[in-house]
Amino acid sequence: MTNDAANGTGSTELLATHVARTVSVRKTYHLGGEPLHALQGVDFSVTRGEYVSIMGPSGSGKSTLFNMIGGLDKPNEGRVYIDEVDIAALNSYELAWLRCHKVGYIFQTYNLIMVSTALENVMLPMIFAGMQQADAQDKAVYLLGKVGLGDRVLHKPVQMSGGQQQRVAIARALANSPAILLADEPTANLDAKTGQQIIMLLKELNEAEGVTVITATHDHKMLSISDRVAWLRDGRVERIRRRDELEITEGHADAKH
Amino acid sequence: MSTTEFESQNILPLSKAAKIAWKSIRIRFLRSLLVTGGIILPIAFLMYIVSSDALLSNVKELGSVQLIEQLRMEGILTRLADTDAKIQTRWMVGLALLISFVGILNAMLMSVTERFREIGTMKCLGALDSFVVKLFLLESVFQGVVGTTIGVALGQVLAFGEGMGIYGGETWTLMPAAQFVRLSGTCLLVGVALSVAGAMYPAWRASRMKPVDALRSEI
Repeated sequence: MTNDAANGTGSTELLATHVARTVSVRKTYHLGGEPLHALQGVDFSVTRGEYVSIMGPSGSGKSTLFNMIGGLDKPNEGRVYIDEVDIAALNSYELAWLRCHKVGYIFQTYNLIMVSTALENVMLPMIFAGMQQADAQDKAVYLLGKVGLGDRVLHKPVQMSGGQQQRVAIARALANSPAILLADEPTANLDAKTGQQIIMLLKELNEAEGVTVITATHDHKMLSISDRVAWLRDGRVERIRRRDELEITEGHADAKH
Repeated sequence: MSTTEFESQNILPLSKAAKIAWKSIRIRFLRSLLVTGGIILPIAFLMYIVSSDALLSNVKELGSVQLIEQLRMEGILTRLADTDAKIQTRWMVGLALLISFVGILNAMLMSVTERFREIGTMKCLGALDSFVVKLFLLESVFQGVVGTTIGVALGQVLAFGEGMGIYGGETWTLMPAAQFVRLSGTCLLVGVALSVAGAMYPAWRASRMKPVDALRSEI
């Protein structure tokens, strides 16, 4: 619990390096009149260049926190900052801009545009950002090469395996050089070996390019490469562990793989 | 967050939206065919009615004396004065167009519902609401243009085929080119307007979808 306290009262000189930060965030959903407290005062921050995993059982508020950090949902109380921008103050245009430029999304179900080729999928966010067609195409080819799909640029999603589709999704997420790469259970629909490859790719991008990666996951393979892991329970951050602490206290989790 | 970026976002992706909309039609070809068919029939009906009306009312001015005399003997010219029958056909045309409108509305709503994840994903990638609206309106316009063009042609074939039976070889002189173009143009416009009107509410609903829907793993 000491970690939580340290996160909540982050000193001002540290703030500039925080790429995502929540301050006493509360979120309540009303489902059929019954209030559901998804988040009950969460203080959490992610430093630039970090690889952070958020874990927790379903109903723990994991998804809600994840959506807040991604600018997909607004809190009822408290503040969410993405790259030090308070998302509550943004209108829908500005939110679209933020999602386009600051956050790269990777989905559990890949979510590629099925009618478009890999190249067109990766180009789409750049087109939304107003980039010229030729520049977008060059960058898309480069990114697809980087995720190891240089020879499948013109393939459609249906012609690719799950792992390859997820690679396209990662290239697409990187299109506008976002501050955060947000991955929602990126390995849940993949077999262990392919999942491992995707995790290693994310880690590689994190280390080589300094991309901040935030994942929501159940996958224990993810733990051993995360800089920090946060566990959520009942709408609160239960504990946060750095990797070095993890290897001592949760060694059995690592030993599995 | 400069405004120029938003402006460029409004111009550039139009061709992209058109491309995606076109591909979406091709991938759901069978359903698109049904929707297009639902446009073809009422527009063909409309075109047939206005064309045969025009042919009949032009007889007195453009027809030869023998033809007018023959038609009077056959009692066909009395149809010109039969306002009850005219009102009845107008009602039928109106109903056909209404049914077509509801069909388009239903098909587009289905198209939106089954693509919630795709729409959410695009919004996650930074698509503005206006891009999503364009996507669905364009899809409907494409179907509308194709369906209406076929419908207009079909209606003309029917009207002139029937005309050949009644007026014989004189049919072609009974329809001046300018009027022909004007009537076809009007029907084309009605068909496209119908497609856009039917897609408006579904497109608006699609644009209001939340990007977080893209993260839902099940329907």
